[in-house]
Amino acid sequence: DDYNKRNQANAQIIDNRRRMLDEWRAWRARIVEDELGDDAVEVAGLSVEGDAEDNSEAVE
Amino acid sequence: MRPILLSGHTRALTQVKYSKDGDIIFSCAKDQIISAWYSANGERLGTYTGHVGAIWTVDVDPTTTLLASGAADNTIRLWDVKTGKLVKTWEFGSSIKRVEFSPDGKQLLGVTEKRQGHLSTIIVYDINYDDIEDQDEEHALRIVVDEAKATVAGFSYQSKYIISGHDDGTITQWDAKTGEFLDSTQAHEEDMLISDIQWSPDRSYFITASKDKTAKLISATDLSVMKSYQTDTPLNSAAITPVKDYVILGGGQAAMEVTTTSARQGKFEARFFHKIFEEEIGRVRGHFGPLNYVAVDPMGKSYASGGEDGYVRLHHFDAGYYNFTFEVERD
Repeated sequence: DDYNKRNQANAQIIDNRRRMLDEWRAWRARIVEDELGDDAVEVAGLSVEGDAEDNSEAVE
Repeated sequence: MRPILLSGHTRALTQVKYSKDGDIIFSCAKDQIISAWYSANGERLGTYTGHVGAIWTVDVDPTTTLLASGAADNTIRLWDVKTGKLVKTWEFGSSIKRVEFSPDGKQLLGVTEKRQGHLSTIIVYDINYDDIEDQDEEHALRIVVDEAKATVAGFSYQSKYIISGHDDGTITQWDAKTGEFLDSTQAHEEDMLISDIQWSPDRSYFITASKDKTAKLISATDLSVMKSYQTDTPLNSAAITPVKDYVILGGGQAAMEVTTTSARQGKFEARFFHKIFEEEIGRVRGHFGPLNYVAVDPMGKSYASGGEDGYVRLHHFDAGYYNFTFEVERD
């Protein structure tokens, strides 16, 4: 009985996490589409390297 | 995560910032000095001296050319990062509590403190990179904060908004071009000071830390509170980690209210929460006083905390940190 209850509780927690993750991903997708476009960045430092590569291509 | 202890400051740290590529850490303190450190090994590579009061705030532009600082000597100062030379001083009638560059580095904002005869303001300057010693004396924008005084502020994505945090627990959204008031929300408990605002990598959302013992994740577009992180201690700082979906919170009771035992044993902790699930994941102990600031490497390799104890503690994330995932994240 306890085992079943615990499993049920765990399932609820996991369902809740899955819901939160889905909501978050939906919000991110919406904000990228509506507001950020190409300015969407997951890791800020990486955009510096991207800029540097663009510059070197322009020189060539 | 074995920490590297950055010792060099003689008084409480107030802010710690990484350069955009994460190589250099800048720290400021009540000892009137700004330090620069290599994040790889914690070696100090220089200091910036000239302020004649506690330094409350520091920021570096995205190209690591200019360093801005604000202090209790009522000045905002601009420094040449490489040479350490002071290139500009703006003077005010009260302390500067926060400085921050816009995402493209072309503007700098400062938050001036409300004092008798002086209003709380957010002041914005255009920054000249062609000749860094030739900066405008006049501001490009000045926002007078009528209601509760502003404690922290920053620029959103595309420099579209200025977001400010206040001593009454409210957050305000301003038009960054015109200074027009757009929106305000009671994000934290009434009359509970907002001590920090830090951005997500693309500045579409931010995290606030408050004396009400919570941190909140808030959308820059509509100021909706999306997530809340509950702790048992007043918070001084909160940061969002890239690469992994975590937030790091720092704080602690002021010295007077703490048992001497916990202070002596270095029990002050940085707290890690899962950004999306709002669940606490772990704590990192070490400081001998409250954590005044937590900063995360923009590349996601390390984090640094600045303490009331006068130390910066630098932690490089290990494999366990990167490998940890919740079951639902693996789907």
